[in-house]
Amino acid sequence: MSSGTQELVTIIPWTFIAQILNLFIQVYLIKRFLFKPINEVLEKRRQMADQEIKEAREAKEAADSLKVQYEEGLAGARAEAAQIVQSAQKEAQIKADETLKQAQEHAAGIRRKAEADIAQEKKKAINEVKDEIGGLAMDIAGKVVEKEINEADHKKLIDEFIKNVGEAS
Amino acid sequence: MEFDISGARIFFRIPTGIPVLGDILITETWVVSWIVMAIITGLCIYLTRDLKVEKISKRQAIAEMIVDSANNLVRNNTGGTKFDRLIPFVSALFATSVVSNLISLTGIFRSPTADLSTEAGWAVVVFIMITMEKIKAGGILGYMKGFTEPIAVMTPFNILSELATPVSMACRHFGNILSGVVINGLIYAALAVASAALLGLIPGAVGDFLSHIPILSVGIPAILSFYFDWFSGVMQAFIFTMLTIMYIANAAEG
Repeated sequence: MSSGTQELVTIIPWTFIAQILNLFIQVYLIKRFLFKPINEVLEKRRQMADQEIKEAREAKEAADSLKVQYEEGLAGARAEAAQIVQSAQKEAQIKADETLKQAQEHAAGIRRKAEADIAQEKKKAINEVKDEIGGLAMDIAGKVVEKEINEADHKKLIDEFIKNVGEAS
Repeated sequence: MEFDISGARIFFRIPTGIPVLGDILITETWVVSWIVMAIITGLCIYLTRDLKVEKISKRQAIAEMIVDSANNLVRNNTGGTKFDRLIPFVSALFATSVVSNLISLTGIFRSPTADLSTEAGWAVVVFIMITMEKIKAGGILGYMKGFTEPIAVMTPFNILSELATPVSMACRHFGNILSGVVINGLIYAALAVASAALLGLIPGAVGDFLSHIPILSVGIPAILSFYFDWFSGVMQAFIFTMLTIMYIANAAEG
């Protein structure tokens, strides 16, 4: 099989050419079988990572907008509640005022009526007293004064008496 | 004791009759180069089998690490992604060089890099790439003018230094690997002589028989092989690759 050896230090043209070709074939092979598949995978992974970051960012944005929405909703609800409370308070106040007014009016009416009644009763009582006193005075006068004074003087005396009584009461 | 270190064995001789190129010699260099290529390609295919984007296997992690470190090596030394197209070339150069250097450890194969034709081929390719980068950077006239700088008298020296680049690259690599071959050959021969002398002391037929077994060759060369094959082999591949990147990057900068 062996037909000798080549020189130890020599350049054999065909070997030289063959080794250059071998190198380029090796470049192709290493590119085809190592770099191409690995770079594809790396690129795919990079894209996936980018995609995931993008998705996370989008999710965060959605959550943020949702949060804003909720906060707005919450603020609206709070304002509404405050308004409701306020209007309820106002209404209650109005009602209370009205009730109070009515009660005052009612009380005033009662009082007025009572006062009128009292006045009337008083008047009535005075009149009654007047009459009674008149009669009484007459009787007393009749009894006390034996002598019959004339009718005119009598009347004058009674009226004077009554008047005095009325002023006194 | 005869000691002889020869070149690669010639398996076939294909006569071509072409004057300068001469006969095609299918030597050990050729065959082992093919084996080296098969090993590298097989390794690439093995490492990149069923690639996944997530939950990657250990194999894939190694493959990705190799690609990453190749990318980083080229990008860090050229400063940017401008030379990304060089990455497969540089990787192929490094892989071929390393595997070629280390394949001699099997004891069966002779390193293709222990044949100057191999390194000469690589160096010439690198030289052509450097020159092309220079022409691309400064135009053909700028390239020519570059030789006359700083003064016209320097032209021959500049041409010489330009040509020295591939020669030095090829010879450096070849010399280191060949020195390993030579030293290892010497050590094996010396140890065989030493063990023959040592065991020859045993009298009679037993000593006669044992003296033919180079018993000292077991173990001791492994220590030296650590430097001459492992360290030197990887180092030279790295140096050759680094020089390639540096020269091309420098050429592009003008």
